Amino acid sequence: MQDDFFQDSLRIAAERARRGELDRRDLLRGLALLGLAPATLHATDAAAQAREVVVVNWGGDAAKHFTTAWLDPFTRDTGIRTVMDGSGPSEGKMKAMVDSRRVTWDVVDTGSGTVLQIGSRYFEPIDYSIVDRTKVPQGFAWEFGIANYLFSYVLAYDRSKFRDKVPTSWADFFNFRDFPGKRTIRKDIQGTLEVALMGDGVPKEQLYPIDVRRALNKLRQHKNDIIFWPSGADSQTLLREGEVSMGSLWNTRVNALVRDTNERITWTWNQGILCPGVWSIMKGSPAGRELSSRFIASTQIPERQVELFKLFGNGPANAAAAPLVPSDLVRFSPGAPVNAAQQVQIQAEWYGENQTRVNDMFLDMLA
Amino acid sequence: MTIAAADRGPRGGEQAAYLVLLAPAVVLLVAAYILPVLGILVLSVTDPVPGLGNYERLLTSDTIHRVLWNTARVCVITTTLSMLGGFVLAYAMVNVGSGARQALLFAVLVPFWLSVLVRAFSFVMLLRREGPVNQALMALGLIASPLQLSRNEFGVVVGMVHYMLPYAVLPMLANMAGQDRRLVAAARGLGAGAWTTFRRVELPLCLPGIIAAGILVFVFSLGFYITPAILGGGRLIMLAEYISFNVLQNVRWGLATMLAASLLLFVFLLLGLLSRIADLGKLFGAR
Repeated sequence: MQDDFFQDSLRIAAERARRGELDRRDLLRGLALLGLAPATLHATDAAAQAREVVVVNWGGDAAKHFTTAWLDPFTRDTGIRTVMDGSGPSEGKMKAMVDSRRVTWDVVDTGSGTVLQIGSRYFEPIDYSIVDRTKVPQGFAWEFGIANYLFSYVLAYDRSKFRDKVPTSWADFFNFRDFPGKRTIRKDIQGTLEVALMGDGVPKEQLYPIDVRRALNKLRQHKNDIIFWPSGADSQTLLREGEVSMGSLWNTRVNALVRDTNERITWTWNQGILCPGVWSIMKGSPAGRELSSRFIASTQIPERQVELFKLFGNGPANAAAAPLVPSDLVRFSPGAPVNAAQQVQIQAEWYGENQTRVNDMFLDMLA
Repeated sequence: MTIAAADRGPRGGEQAAYLVLLAPAVVLLVAAYILPVLGILVLSVTDPVPGLGNYERLLTSDTIHRVLWNTARVCVITTTLSMLGGFVLAYAMVNVGSGARQALLFAVLVPFWLSVLVRAFSFVMLLRREGPVNQALMALGLIASPLQLSRNEFGVVVGMVHYMLPYAVLPMLANMAGQDRRLVAAARGLGAGAWTTFRRVELPLCLPGIIAAGILVFVFSLGFYITPAILGGGRLIMLAEYISFNVLQNVRWGLATMLAASLLLFVFLLLGLLSRIADLGKLFGAR
């Protein structure tokens, strides 16, 4: 895995250098991170020189669309260079970077559970004199992170697999008699535990604190009929190719499916799980807390929030952006009031406290 | 090097020159391999707290037991099937004409050069519910509804055996090609039937190749990561994936490094045990 990471980083660095997005200094710093270049290039040197913001997300189309919606406009406004790195800010990589004091990332696209679990050790506090915490839904701004967009886990299904009725709730999701076919759920606890509990009859208002045993038992009971998707792309393939008849998918992937299949695949917002994507600032970020916070504040501008939504389906986190969403696209927006009302908002605090312990139990159920 | 040359040995000056020539390789190996491995060993007894707590989990954790059992089961099945298939292929190769042998060798080697990722995804496409294999079986009337061929243990074993087959064929082929085929003729001439000849003459001669192939395949299988992750449908967690999960997502490096160190130790033990019953250098083709 480490090898994969190194190779991937090298590949990305080489690719960017080729495209001229990365100068020699960046390349050297990148190599230093991998332990391949002179040790004199420490984070402190980098900090003194840095007038750029390195933004890290999970790659794929997201890297492209973040650049268009957020990075390029920031550079236009300020003249400060931005660099998009799609190698994925997993907790392990961030720990490696901060512990070895060779931080080259500034702003990372992470999750609420991560912020609450490791934020105080690996992230800088958000500068709330620069970033406006009232521009995100209540409960989605924390000391070490703030929502940048919204996404949902929703029930998506293949209409061609069912004759007269369509599934409308997670109870239907686990009803294999009336709704034949395999299911797919994310190979992760986030969203999955909530799906299992609602499928077992827990009302959406009473999900937290999560009854982990009950949720895992529900999944264990139907394990043979569930395929656990490791990446968003997989979930999309499973439904498109008819391998499963229903799935708990990210709404962004559902958008693509709805368009690709001419609405053969569709979805319901009912009992969806509304989650924030989260900006955090790496501890020891070369760009620094102030500049990084300025970048974050710039992504809250309503037009830019809507731009990302149009490109990629990540819903605006800033409520002021809602009126700017074109009316024919409102049905795709997870945070639009009419859609949000049917959903449940994820409780990040629960994940912050329980994530590691429950991850183990989840893996135990799978293995 | 002949025995006589070895006995004479290089003179002192020559030996120093050899050592200097060897130095870059040694330095590279120590810096890029031995030191990081030591780092892993250290981490396994210091993170999150100093002590043997991580190793205790090897004995007490049900999850780890299940992951180890998955790994052992899949690896044993893979090794057995690869060796059976590999033996048949290698045996056929030494017993057919040179043209057919070239064709067989080519067929074995082509997948050997393909990326493991490409192969795993190819199998996903071939084995999926509405994929060509299921469609062919249904068209032939052999099955009424699609079989679940991938995203389960069956799919993982198919993918792993396909990956491992060349590793089984090549050592066995090298061994068989080096055998004196006249021994078979001699055995037949002395009145042994085909089966007796195979059992009493050919099989014992093939044994070093079989053992080498077995170890090679088993040791390689232990570290499989991509194939089970893609073809297992998320429901078959093997050791490598569990380690990666604990490095990247759960950030429990003590636990992950403990498992990595234990795996390394287990492989060394396996090889050590084997070196007592066979000459490892010879098995893997060193002279």
